[in-house]
Amino acid sequence: MLAYIVRRLFQLIIVLVGVTIITFIIMFAVPGNPARLLAGKDATPAKIALISHNLGLDRPLYVQYYKFVVRLLHGDLGQSYAVRQPVMQMIKQNVGNTAQLAVAAVLIEMLGIPLGVYSALRQYSFWDTALTTSALVIWGIPVFVLGVFLEQFFWVTLPHWVNSWFGTMWTGLPQTPGRNVWLIFPGSWTSVGALVLPAFTLGILEVAYISYMQRAAMLEVIRSDYIRTARAKGLSERKVVLKHGLKNAIIPVMTIAGIDLGALMGGAIVTETVFNRPGLGLMIYNAIGARDLPVVSGGVLFATLVYVVANLIVDIAYAYVDPRIRLGE
Amino acid sequence: MARSKGDKIVADEATASDSQARASGEKALGLWGDTWRRLRRNKLAVVGMCIISVFLVVGMATEIANIAGVNLAPYDPNQVDYKLSPTGLGSPPSLTHPFGTDYIGRDIFSRCLVATRISLIVGVIAVAIAVTMGLALGPVSGFYGGAIDAAIMRLADVFFAYPYILFVLLIMTILGPGFVNVFLAIGILSWATYARLVRGQILSIKTMEYVEAARAQGASDLRIIFRHVLPNSMAPIYVSMAMGVGGAIVTEATLSYLGIGIQPPNASWGKMIADYVTYFQAGRWWMLTFPSILLVVTVFGFISFGNGLRDATDPKLKE
Repeated sequence: MLAYIVRRLFQLIIVLVGVTIITFIIMFAVPGNPARLLAGKDATPAKIALISHNLGLDRPLYVQYYKFVVRLLHGDLGQSYAVRQPVMQMIKQNVGNTAQLAVAAVLIEMLGIPLGVYSALRQYSFWDTALTTSALVIWGIPVFVLGVFLEQFFWVTLPHWVNSWFGTMWTGLPQTPGRNVWLIFPGSWTSVGALVLPAFTLGILEVAYISYMQRAAMLEVIRSDYIRTARAKGLSERKVVLKHGLKNAIIPVMTIAGIDLGALMGGAIVTETVFNRPGLGLMIYNAIGARDLPVVSGGVLFATLVYVVANLIVDIAYAYVDPRIRLGE
Repeated sequence: MARSKGDKIVADEATASDSQARASGEKALGLWGDTWRRLRRNKLAVVGMCIISVFLVVGMATEIANIAGVNLAPYDPNQVDYKLSPTGLGSPPSLTHPFGTDYIGRDIFSRCLVATRISLIVGVIAVAIAVTMGLALGPVSGFYGGAIDAAIMRLADVFFAYPYILFVLLIMTILGPGFVNVFLAIGILSWATYARLVRGQILSIKTMEYVEAARAQGASDLRIIFRHVLPNSMAPIYVSMAMGVGGAIVTEATLSYLGIGIQPPNASWGKMIADYVTYFQAGRWWMLTFPSILLVVTVFGFISFGNGLRDATDPKLKE
């Protein structure tokens, strides 16, 4: 096990070095001199040269890359062009909101597990067909399309119906995200409301995917020899399904959920944009609009790091529960 | 000895399906004949195939018309006509404008039609770029192993390390928005999926006896790769391609929605959705609803076809 972890850690380092090189190349390939951007529109060539010198842009590429990596190791992702604030500080302000959304979405997507198991156990039944078909339809819906329609329904249509039927003045789910959304429960209820719809949007899409995968995994497992053995020795169906079946079939699905959590930490950009919810994704989106490259690349680097580490943890957990992985290669 | 493409199947699979066919008295089907038979029985996959066919026909017809300089759509998709949007909120679907008009009087149906072409081109070219790169690097990696393999696979690891949509956004920030850049970015970033798939397939196939036999006959590496190994490793690649076209269409729509994909005045489903959100919230449902439905239905077509194809080519699921 230890050997496996060491090997994976070593791979992680190689991958991270690759990521810094590619990100560095991408940043360097940017058309337009960053010094000119920083200096403003009517700067003299001397001023541009000075800023360029201060940023180290006149040094050889490998020196610049070395400095870039050294700064990264010190947790310095550079300075935002637009806000004139360290990128790391901006990330710290936003990471909490995004983490909350990611965790909520992953919790919702767990609903896919019982749905998938049910589908597999009643293969080709009416409910299996209905669930599988709707899973495939929902799977293909882009996040922003679902977001726009859910937003319309819960914030406009539903309150309108409720008000006209009951004559009350309900304005729908709270939509202004509170800044203080660090903690779900001790925070204000507004922040919970602002979490519900985005998390539901992300979650429902993943429920479709997870239930489809869980169904496939479960179908494969219940056809295996050890399930036949378990049945043959007279175990109750409940025990066969839960203890022998699900315990094996859930592993690949939990892997997907773990990777999702890592991806959502930085990848909730579309959802956060649709709902205008503060977070890492919205920060990166705004930075793209402002061509604020240090924030874009810093945000992407941070998200990538989280994603890679989440993947590593999932892999190690997988190897822990399934010895074939760690002994395999 | 002339052998058709369908005959080239993995050795043990061939004997299994042959003996099965003999036992049931049926004519032996090749791998693709068998796949087609199983695919046809999957209703969702058939629905997916129908959707894809309509999408392909409509998309290609508009593309050919575009090259020929003819406008296939009933109206010019970018023609502004304020008479058709008297209150600045568009006009609802009618007989002359089946999908209605938008806030500056452009015909939604014509815009949707043009957007179909954009989605088709982005989907197909992006996947073609990715598959070409994957098919160039994957076999080299899997067949030779060693340092080349390690280098290519570590590079693939790096590409997989980024959350996909963020990587696309990063590249698009640098390349700048635009139609060509969209499929370039999606294509270049997706090669690793195909390279890994082909490599895995080749690793399992290269130990097969028929590869050994080919080598014993003195076949060159290139001949072994292209004549014996690749044709036998294509099934999962086709599945990935079907899903990949759907994925590329979603990515294009997302990029356009975020404003860094297809640029105005050109129509794209994602761009239309972004443009019409405010009107949708004002109760003018038709502008947003039609492109959304087309986008979702098309992507569903590719996903259900891809899933069906996966089930149909999976030897484990054979009865």
